[in-house]
Amino acid sequence: MFGLQNTSRRSTALSARFHEYRLTLKIILESPPTMAGLAIVLAYTAIAVIDFTYPNLIGVQNAYSEIPDYMNPVPTPPVWPTHPFGTTFPGVDLYQAIMAAIRVDLWYSLLIVVAGAAIGIVVGVLAAYSGGYTDEALMRLVDIFLSIPYLPFTIAVAFVLGRNLDNISIAMAVTWWPMYARYAYGQALSVKENTYVEAGRASGVAKWGIIQHHIIPNVLTPIFVQISLDLGTVVQAFAGLTFIGFASGNPLLPELGTLISNGFQYAVAAPWVVFFPGVVILIFAIAMNLLGDGLRDALDPKNRT
Amino acid sequence: MKLRYYVARRLLLLIPTLIGLTLITFIISHVGGDQRLLGAYINIHSKIPVSVQEQELAIRFHFNDPLVVQYFYWLAAFLQGNWGYTQTSIYSGSVVSAISLFFPNTAVLAVTASILSGVIGIPLGVWSAVRKDSLGDQATRVISFAGYSLPAYWLSLLLILAFSTSNVCSCLNIFPISGTVTMSLIGGANWYSNGISYPTHVLVFDSLIHGRIDIFEDAVMHLVLPVVALTYNTLASVLRVMRSSMQDTLNQDYIRTARAKGLKESTVVNVHARRNALIPVATLLGYTVAFLLGGVIFVESVFNYLGIGYWTTQAMLNGDVGGIMGATVVFGLTFIFANLITDIAYAFLDPRIRY
Repeated sequence: MFGLQNTSRRSTALSARFHEYRLTLKIILESPPTMAGLAIVLAYTAIAVIDFTYPNLIGVQNAYSEIPDYMNPVPTPPVWPTHPFGTTFPGVDLYQAIMAAIRVDLWYSLLIVVAGAAIGIVVGVLAAYSGGYTDEALMRLVDIFLSIPYLPFTIAVAFVLGRNLDNISIAMAVTWWPMYARYAYGQALSVKENTYVEAGRASGVAKWGIIQHHIIPNVLTPIFVQISLDLGTVVQAFAGLTFIGFASGNPLLPELGTLISNGFQYAVAAPWVVFFPGVVILIFAIAMNLLGDGLRDALDPKNRT
Repeated sequence: MKLRYYVARRLLLLIPTLIGLTLITFIISHVGGDQRLLGAYINIHSKIPVSVQEQELAIRFHFNDPLVVQYFYWLAAFLQGNWGYTQTSIYSGSVVSAISLFFPNTAVLAVTASILSGVIGIPLGVWSAVRKDSLGDQATRVISFAGYSLPAYWLSLLLILAFSTSNVCSCLNIFPISGTVTMSLIGGANWYSNGISYPTHVLVFDSLIHGRIDIFEDAVMHLVLPVVALTYNTLASVLRVMRSSMQDTLNQDYIRTARAKGLKESTVVNVHARRNALIPVATLLGYTVAFLLGGVIFVESVFNYLGIGYWTTQAMLNGDVGGIMGATVVFGLTFIFANLITDIAYAFLDPRIRY
C-alpha cells in the first residue's frame, strides 16, 4: 500500500516536471535566434564526434595531428576543392586543421566549464546550507579567488603547472569554479528556505541527502544556463591562451589558437590564415550566447505563463 | 546600516582578501620548490656571484623551515618592496621597477577604453531602450552581441589587417602595426631609451612635456587600434546592461506617473529614468576592470605594446617567475581596489543597498 502511494506521488511529480520541460521546449522552439544557436552548437558537436569516430566523412585525414608539407611551408590561397580554406604554415590544409581543431577546443572547453561548475556547485551549496563558520570560511575563500582577474590568474597557475593544453584547462578550472560557487550559493540560499527542504529535515533526512536530492537538483537549472553562456567565453579564452604561446609542446596539434599563432607571421600576405580559425571561434561563441540567452529567457518565470 | 559602517565593514574585508592574494602569490612562487623562488630573486646584474646570492637567499627566506614559516619571511621581504627580479626580452631588472615602467602604459590604454565605452555605451543604451524593437535598437543589440563573442586578440589582428597592412587599398593603411612609437622619430631623444620614456613612462605625456608634438601625434596613432580593440569588447557589456536597466526603469510606476502628469518625454527619459537606470551600470565598473585586465594581455601581445599585459606574456614565455609573481599581484591589487570603489559607490548611489 505504501508502495502504491509512493508511485502515484512520484508520477504526479514526474508529470509536473514533464509539463515544465515541455513548456521550456515550447519557448525555445518558438524563438528563431535560440534555434539558430542550438543548430550551430549541434553542428559543432557533430563535427567533434565525427573527428573522434570517422574523420574521413568530413575529409579529415588525421584528427590528432596536422599534416605538414615542409617542402611548401608558405601559406597558399583557398582553392576549391583541394584547399577550400587555403593552407597555413607549415603547408597545412586549413580546412582539415580547423575541422580537427574543433574537437580539441570543444573538448577542453567543456571539460573546464563542467569541472569548474561541479566544484563550484558543491562548495556553494555546502556553504549556503551549512551556514555559520563553514559558510563564512568557504565564501571568504571564494572571495579571495575572485579577487584576482581570472585571465592573469590562469596564466600564473598554468605557468606553474607547465605550458601544455592539459595544464591550461586545469588552470582555467581552478580559476573558474569560484564564479559558479558564488552563483550556486545565491541559488541555494533561496532554495533552502523552501518548505520541502524543511519537511525533509523534519523527517530526519541527513544533511548530504537533502543537499543531494533537494538542493542540488534545484540549483542545477540556472547553473546550466550559466554554463552555456560561459562556454562561448571559455572557448575564446582557451584559444587566446594557446594563441599567446601556452601550447608550446606540439606545434602540429590542431587547435584554433595555435592555428592563428602559427599563421600569424604570414597574416599580411595571407589574411586567410588568421581569418578562418577566428571565424570558427566567433561563430561558436555567438551560437553559445544565443543559446544561453534563449535558455535563460525560457526559464525566466516572467515568460512562463 | 549606516553608510559609514558599511564602508568600515567593506574595508575590514580587504584584510583577508589581501592576505589571500599574497598567499596565492607565495604558493605560485613555491610550487616548483626552492629553485623556482631562487629564479625570481637572483639578480643577474649584481656583482655578487650567483652561488653566493643563492646561499644568502636560502638564509633570508629560511628554506630549512616549514613552508608556513617561509611564508612570513617571504611576506616581510614582499612588504618591504623586494619583489624579486624579472628577466625577459623586453626588460631586465627588478620587478618593482618593471611594474612602475609598464603599468602607466597599460593604465592609459585601460582608462581610455573604459571612458570611451562609457561615453558611447551609456547614451547608446538609453537610445536603444527608448526605441525598443526599432531598427536602430536591433542594430545596437547585434553590435553588443558581437562584442561578447569577438575574441579581443582576433579583433586586434583584423584591425591590423584592415588599417595597417591592407591589401585592398594603401589609403586604408593609416595606423602603425605595433609598438608605442616610430623608432626613426624618437631616435635622438635623450629622454627615451630601450622602449621606455621618462619621466612619466607614458609617451603621450612625455612627448608633450618635452615639447615634441610630432612624437605626440605618432604615439596617439599607435594608441588608436589597441584602444579600439579593447573598447569594443567592454562597450558590449556597458551597452547591454544600460539597455536592459533603462527598459526596466521605463516600465516602473513612477515613470507612468511622470508621463501621466504631462511631462515632456525628454524630461521623463533624461531626468526621471536615466538617473535610476545608471545605478546597475555603476556596478559594472568592477567587471569592466576585470575584463580590461584580461583584454590587455591579448591586445598588448598582438600590438607589442609595452604594458603589463605584454610583460606578463613575455614573462610566461621566458619562464620568468618574478614577472609572473609581480603581474599576479598588480592585476590582483588593481582588481581588488576597483571592486572596493564599485561597492562603495554602489552603496552611496543606492541607499537600499546595505549588506
